[in-house]
Amino acid sequence: MASRIKLLAIVVLLTVVGGGLAAYKHVKLGIPMIVGDRPTEWLVEAKVAFFATGEKTTARLSLPSVAVDREMGVDASSEGYGFFIADELGQYSAHWSADEKQGNQALYYRVRFPARGVESAGPVFDTNGLPEPSDPGLSGTLRSAADSVVRRAKELSSNPESLLVGVFREITAIEGSQEIALLKRHYEEVNNGNALTMLGIDLLNMAGVPARQAYAVRLDEIRGGQEPLFFVEFHDGVYWRVRDPDAPSSTLDPREVFVWNRGGDPLLEVGGGENSKVVFTTTRDVIPMEKLTDLRDSGLLVATIFGLPASERQVFRFVVLIPIGAFVVVLLRNVIGIATLGTFMPVLLALSLLEMEPGVGLVMFVVIITAGLWVRFLLSRLNLLVVPRVAACVVIVTLLMILLSVVSWHLGMRDGLKITLFPMIILAWTIERMSLIWEEEGKRNAILQVLGSLIVAVVAYYAMRENQVRYWAFYFPELLLVLLAGIILLGRYTGYRLSELMRFRNFEEI
Amino acid sequence: MKRWWHRFFRTPRELEAMGVVGINMRNARFVLPNNSRKLYDLVDNKVRTKGLAIEQGIAVPDTYRVARSPADIRRLDRLVGDRDSFVIKPARGSGGKGVLVVAGREGERFIKPSGATISAEEIRHHLQNILAGLFSLGGKRDVALIEYRVQAARVMTELSFQGAPDVRVVIFRGYPIMAMMRAATRESDGRSNLHQGALGIGIDIATGMTIHAVHHGRAVTMHPDLKVPLIGIQLPEWDRILEISGTCQKMTGLGYLGVDIMIDDEHGPLMIEVNARPGLAIQLANGVGLLKRLNPALERFRTHPHEDLREKIAFSRNTFAARLPTA
Repeated sequence: MASRIKLLAIVVLLTVVGGGLAAYKHVKLGIPMIVGDRPTEWLVEAKVAFFATGEKTTARLSLPSVAVDREMGVDASSEGYGFFIADELGQYSAHWSADEKQGNQALYYRVRFPARGVESAGPVFDTNGLPEPSDPGLSGTLRSAADSVVRRAKELSSNPESLLVGVFREITAIEGSQEIALLKRHYEEVNNGNALTMLGIDLLNMAGVPARQAYAVRLDEIRGGQEPLFFVEFHDGVYWRVRDPDAPSSTLDPREVFVWNRGGDPLLEVGGGENSKVVFTTTRDVIPMEKLTDLRDSGLLVATIFGLPASERQVFRFVVLIPIGAFVVVLLRNVIGIATLGTFMPVLLALSLLEMEPGVGLVMFVVIITAGLWVRFLLSRLNLLVVPRVAACVVIVTLLMILLSVVSWHLGMRDGLKITLFPMIILAWTIERMSLIWEEEGKRNAILQVLGSLIVAVVAYYAMRENQVRYWAFYFPELLLVLLAGIILLGRYTGYRLSELMRFRNFEEI
Repeated sequence: MKRWWHRFFRTPRELEAMGVVGINMRNARFVLPNNSRKLYDLVDNKVRTKGLAIEQGIAVPDTYRVARSPADIRRLDRLVGDRDSFVIKPARGSGGKGVLVVAGREGERFIKPSGATISAEEIRHHLQNILAGLFSLGGKRDVALIEYRVQAARVMTELSFQGAPDVRVVIFRGYPIMAMMRAATRESDGRSNLHQGALGIGIDIATGMTIHAVHHGRAVTMHPDLKVPLIGIQLPEWDRILEISGTCQKMTGLGYLGVDIMIDDEHGPLMIEVNARPGLAIQLANGVGLLKRLNPALERFRTHPHEDLREKIAFSRNTFAARLPTA
């Protein structure tokens, strides 16, 4: 009895603490409990990372003017650094400075805007008057090569825009002319990453069209950290416009791309540091900016996910879902009574399914397991020892993955490439254990257990994919305490499992 | 009373009324509170269990050798000598996993009970698998026992299609609670696993006579392959079987356990293994819910805490005697 009271006390405590914190966030901070269809927001975070050498440290990051002008929820975090935003004729930049920093440094700058996107790539009128094309200062063979490319492009174009399209078509052509090959080689030596963009810009300038570099970010949650994209900004005689060198003829879609900076300034300058770089992370937030700032500043322990920079927060997108999967496993095993292969294997399977089309994922899983099992039976004739046999299984699974990817690619199914998302060791162990059960307990049990695992994985997948569940897990992580209380209660469930009601259906008392 | 839904399931209330114990209840109310985790190694490791049993005067199959290293395996002739029949089993296997029975020899090859033959090389490979932990709980490294192959008594083999039947007795705090015999069928392929189609035959605790039998959870009275009656067979040395089971409880310290026993033609009942989580199919085999017996035993334990083994067995035989169908 005493242990029962203790148990109840713990359950009540967990529920009250978890539920109370959630209620506080909801009532006091006004964060909605139900995920609504309100317009979501994009959060773009620039992370400046460098290695400080111990001297006076300064960093300058060019900023998106649209955001600063309209005060679109900009916010910087930089512990131990002096910080200000400089305005040079409408060009903004963030400046950090500190004395004697040493070791790895990370500075953050965040911008937030509605998911519809903002016109970051729209035409801009130059307030400094008509810009002049600048000469790139090439000489010798490079000069003459560039001249002939420009001449060819000019012959086929009527205005700055068609010139830009022509120049970049020639640069990105798979079998380019000899002149382009020569120029490319030179530019790749001088620049890193943005060689083609720089080449195009210089060619445009030589052709009399003012052009300069712009930096952009793709609005894509899945990517995680991404390097800046090098875009081209050119002057069409009236406005400055931005184009993607890989798709020079189309205007940019504000829902897919955000132009971080235009104006031709360097993106980042660091003094007193080495190995500096900018990494962008984009995430979508369902909660309006000001609410989130309240949450971050509320000082509650549970707000810690939001105390983290967006780049680190991305990791939690899936981590907070794992307990949901574990709960599903407990429910289906102890209350329904589904036998699975390995206790938490289905959760890992469900996590992989989250990142691909679930139907395709299941088919690929079954194909790999079936093929692997067949090869495993061939292997068993060789009488290998246990560990080498599992290792052999890993090799076979790898080969099967490659084979499946290539085959599905040729059949035009891009999803095939996602097969690598399955945890390899899980696959190998599933094959090994299944073949063991096959031999010891018969194929019926082996297939039933794999089927059970798949059912649990699919249920866990649907639970983890549910928007409301994700929303709670991510914005109200304290509700995990309530989930914990539920798991503890289930842990003490001594009633019959659903499967037992069927198992004992022929029970006859004598 | 037969209801239409009994073809598909029983309601929880019906099962409860019959005292049926489910897995969750077994674990939460009987296994976890009565079986301390640190005692598990005693029963999970057959080398230790057998050592304990011998100290207590319980008869077990004679251990010929224990193979502990690859070097032992290389000298197979030393392990098995010139014996014609023997059993190889992993010390940490459970539920018959990894057990290899050799019934005879034919030149260089060994004969299994099913009649199939295997080479010395295949036996070595099986031993290597055992040592690598393929059959052990949690994949731990293991050792292999080479032991006497039980020559099951005639009464027993007559009820089994190949394979020797064994007797399982469930003991709770020293009280024998329920017993059954598991007999192989053609379908179960010599194995005594009820899931795979072996027969579960309930045994009267008072007399050691078979009283009820099930195949795939359904009541049967005849062996499906051998066509012999399964009910009303008297098991030999029933007193000794109960005594061995009770002693296993004392020597392991487990509060709730299942003891597997085989009856040898020559040596009588031999203890094979002790199980700290005995399964629930025994209820089907007897047609009695475990709770109907566990509750009275627990009550008796409360009111008479200092009974010795003999008194406990006497209590069980009196209280749990089957109401034999009036013939």
